[in-house]
Amino acid sequence: MQTERIRNFSIIAHIDHGKSTLADRMLEHTGAVQRREMRDQLLDDMELERERGITIKARAVTIEHEVDGETYQLNLIDTPGHVDFSYEVQKSMQACEGALLLVDASQGVEAQTVANAYLAVEQDLEIIPVLNKIDLAHSRPDEVAEEIEHSLAIDASDALAVSAKSGEGVGAVLDRVVREIPPPEGDLDAPLQALIFDAVYDEYRGIIVYLRLFNGVLTKRAMTRMLGTGKVYEAIEIGKFSPNMTKCDELRAGEVGYLVSNIKSLGDVRIGDTLTINKGPEVEMLPGYKEPVHMVFADFYPTNPGEFEALRDALETLSLTDSSFSFHPETSDALGFGFRCGFLGLLHMEIIQQRLEREHDMDMIQTAPSVTYMIRKAGGEEEMIRSPGQLPPRDHYEELLEPIARVSMLVPTEYLGNLMQISVDHRGTFVRQDHLSPTRVQVEFDMPMGEIIYDFYDKLKSATRGYGTLNYEVTGFNADDLVKLQILVNGDEVDALSCIVHRSQADMRGRAVLKKLRKEIPRHMFEVRLQAAIGSKIIARESIAALRKDVTAKCYGGDITRKRKLLEKQKAGKRRMRQVGNVDIPQKAFLSVLGGDDK
Amino acid sequence: METSRTTSRERQTAPDIQRPWEIPAADGTPLYVHVPFCEAKCPYCDFFSVAGEGQDIEGSLEALISEVERRGPRSPRTVFVGGGTPSWLSIDQLERLFGAMQSRTGYRDSAQEVTVECNPESLDEEKARALVELGATRLSIGFQSLRPETLELFGRVHGVDDSFAAFQAARAAGVAAVSVDLIFGAEGQTVGEWREDLTRVLDLKPEHLSCYGLTFEEGTLFTRWLEEGRIERIPEEEELELFRATRELTSTRGYHAYEVSNFCLSGHECHHNLNYWRNGPYVGIGPGAASYVSGTRFGNPRSLEAWRRGAKGGEASLPWSETLNPSHRLAETWWLGLRLAEGLDASAAREHCGVSASEDLCLPEARQLAEEGLLVERGGRWRLTGEGLELADAVSGRLLATGLA
Ligand SMILES: Nc1nc2c(ncn2[C@@H]2O[C@H](COP(=O)(O)OP(=O)(O)OP(=O)(O)O)[C@@H](O)[C@H]2O)c(=O)[nH]1
Ligand code: SF4
Ligand SMILES: [Mg+2]
Repeated sequence: MQTERIRNFSIIAHIDHGKSTLADRMLEHTGAVQRREMRDQLLDDMELERERGITIKARAVTIEHEVDGETYQLNLIDTPGHVDFSYEVQKSMQACEGALLLVDASQGVEAQTVANAYLAVEQDLEIIPVLNKIDLAHSRPDEVAEEIEHSLAIDASDALAVSAKSGEGVGAVLDRVVREIPPPEGDLDAPLQALIFDAVYDEYRGIIVYLRLFNGVLTKRAMTRMLGTGKVYEAIEIGKFSPNMTKCDELRAGEVGYLVSNIKSLGDVRIGDTLTINKGPEVEMLPGYKEPVHMVFADFYPTNPGEFEALRDALETLSLTDSSFSFHPETSDALGFGFRCGFLGLLHMEIIQQRLEREHDMDMIQTAPSVTYMIRKAGGEEEMIRSPGQLPPRDHYEELLEPIARVSMLVPTEYLGNLMQISVDHRGTFVRQDHLSPTRVQVEFDMPMGEIIYDFYDKLKSATRGYGTLNYEVTGFNADDLVKLQILVNGDEVDALSCIVHRSQADMRGRAVLKKLRKEIPRHMFEVRLQAAIGSKIIARESIAALRKDVTAKCYGGDITRKRKLLEKQKAGKRRMRQVGNVDIPQKAFLSVLGGDDK
Repeated sequence: METSRTTSRERQTAPDIQRPWEIPAADGTPLYVHVPFCEAKCPYCDFFSVAGEGQDIEGSLEALISEVERRGPRSPRTVFVGGGTPSWLSIDQLERLFGAMQSRTGYRDSAQEVTVECNPESLDEEKARALVELGATRLSIGFQSLRPETLELFGRVHGVDDSFAAFQAARAAGVAAVSVDLIFGAEGQTVGEWREDLTRVLDLKPEHLSCYGLTFEEGTLFTRWLEEGRIERIPEEEELELFRATRELTSTRGYHAYEVSNFCLSGHECHHNLNYWRNGPYVGIGPGAASYVSGTRFGNPRSLEAWRRGAKGGEASLPWSETLNPSHRLAETWWLGLRLAEGLDASAAREHCGVSASEDLCLPEARQLAEEGLLVERGGRWRLTGEGLELADAVSGRLLATGLA
């Protein structure tokens, strides 16, 4: 296919505005997928995506569409909408010349609509606004078009209105993609220059690399070289996503496809690297991706201490398909050897944890998420504190600083009062507010990152009946009266349970943590004492009474097996526990430091 | 990259046996026969039984007889006919059942003990005599409570007087041993009341007594009522007091607390049940009954229809069967053995399960538990201490965990 007939675009939007459903209709409309093979959100093929009904990973697919008797190749990328995955969106955009900005016409512009639109502007993409869900009785396309114009300064006067559910208007969107999004600029005769934007590990075929070609042609059997890692591999198989992997003989500039080279060593492939022909003319490294900024850190420890290496293998394999989390070896007095991992947000953390458990069969203990703090010493020297356990004694530093984020929220006007209240409660500083329309307002606060991950998101949802949405970006560090809240179990400090909090909140947080621990830690044959302390001062206590009677009354031949299994099940539950001193602490208890009612 | 690896997850060897009920039981293997009918279903009970009225009793009796004829072990050492309520059957039906048992197994010449479970509403002197006639040496009578309001809560269809009358009937029939079943720990019960009731029963001088703490078993109406807040569990402290009072009172009356919930006058332990706690083999016949033959334990279907199909030789589908690996079996042996006052002989248990001394993971755990004051060892036999007994499940949980590795 000639480059003039190629269009690369991504579908971007706030979460749940219908990106994946619109992709479904496009696959159908262009005949890429037969009706009988169709299922909802076809591109969401990861188990967790289907379970949660959200897109986690961007997915590329190639379709063909005819305009004025000419056939065009459309490479579309369905992106995730959740704030935690905006790094995926950013990566996708780098392989595109245009974006469909989808807005749910019943909800209007929301926080990630704004954030993603800005990203697209930054990347110089051609943006086509599309109003979705017009089949809904309460959709208000005209108002929403105005919101788009007002908040994003994008011309939405001729925005297309569609229903991704019924398929109405989808053909028109495809026509517009062809007409308005410029073809890629690639030069077919130039040496090969392709961006590695993703990869997956296949047990039989090794690492499968996902490519966007910017210049040149990649043919089957060619010897390739990755500029960053310097590794040379033969292109054993190349192909496109339509939407399943479909072999072809060559990939050309502007196209998106995959490459199989039987690569078995994880270290050989780096997402963001540039691929070229080995021994061909020198080409420049493509811009690649900037390192993601990790917002949230948590430790993973194997439940069985013998599985440390297995956990490392699992993390390495997983980081191939998700390059946006980090991991470094870490030790804890209570939990032994594990990894401190950085994530883009709480959902991201949860997804990584579940993928490790499901796809890699890992049994892990996870500590409560926290942010990175910083200390400033007497000489002005600064040091990052990655976990509360690392905080040196008070006289070793001058100031303790916490990361601050600019939080941008979009809410219906009626909830503005509630929103102000919870923002102030979470130590937020008001920055500005802006009315998008008579009914919707955008508000910005500067707020400590620690407050956001503690429970701010949950609070925002309940304060706005689910209508409020937020986006945030870390802007810097700020010194404040922060202290380390220590948790003691039967007199011993458990490092994995301590956290850094603002002094004014220490009492409240201390009590909250103990309450949860009390619920999570099972009764023992002795009393378990729980204390929260700042330095040597105890600020809260709780105790878990000793087990007094625990004996099965009846056990005869007919139910030996069942009763034994009951006891074993209780014991198996304990396998996900760690002994601290002689107290069994279940995995869930380590999350007690987190806010929310039932985390 | 190597992605496959062994995890510490349990890998239980799947039993390779297609039809476990065809494994022949050795001569002498104890026999259990389950009669699945009662006058009415009690809401706390999780045994497999149904109210008999309107059921095809004859059909089930026939099925029981066929299963006995197919699977009954020869010359069983002990026989236990339980349920359900065996005494609910008519004398004629009992005669047919026991007749079939005798022709297949010859129990009357081999069994040192033949127990039949009875309920007060269906045990009169005539029936008691008939049972003695059929070889019964023990009649176990379900009193459960001496308080009318508790009997009502328990859904029992008999009164307090009926229980005493049934006891006298058993005595009059001259059966070698009578056992009484009681349940303590119903909502509102005080320790004083329980002492009174227990004393009244002890005054009868039954050879054997079972006193069970009320248990909320999964799937019973009681458990549902508990969840719905219609009934309440008594506080743990009170439960413990009742448990202690039981042991104290029985002991002053000369009863031997030979198991967690079982007490007897000297020499009157239930041998059939001792075999369960010693982790010995048995053959169970009837719906829901379990068998343990050649190291494989399996259960009959807990549904009359499914069981009847199999009992008569049709294609049966067993709901479950399991063959534990040696170390798991050893842990099970410890768990069961510790329920007994006699405790368990560590090296005999190893031998029984085919575990070598170096592979014995229970023993080190037991030593640890002894250090915590929960177990004691004397002459190679291990027992629960007083404190250990009250926490028997927590103790066993730790021993069982060694079998899961
Ligand atoms: N009524 C109606 N519902 C729609 C329409 N488009 C999508 N939906 C529904 O909206 C929900 C979210 O749709 P998705 O396609 O998963 O949304 P998404 O934007 O891909 O969501 P993320 O990937 O999680 O960001 C689903 O329940 C869809 O069925 C539409 O045009 N009309
Ligand atoms: S307790 Fe006895 S009488 Fe009541 S249902 Fe259970 S087996 Fe039948
Ligand atoms: Mg989606």
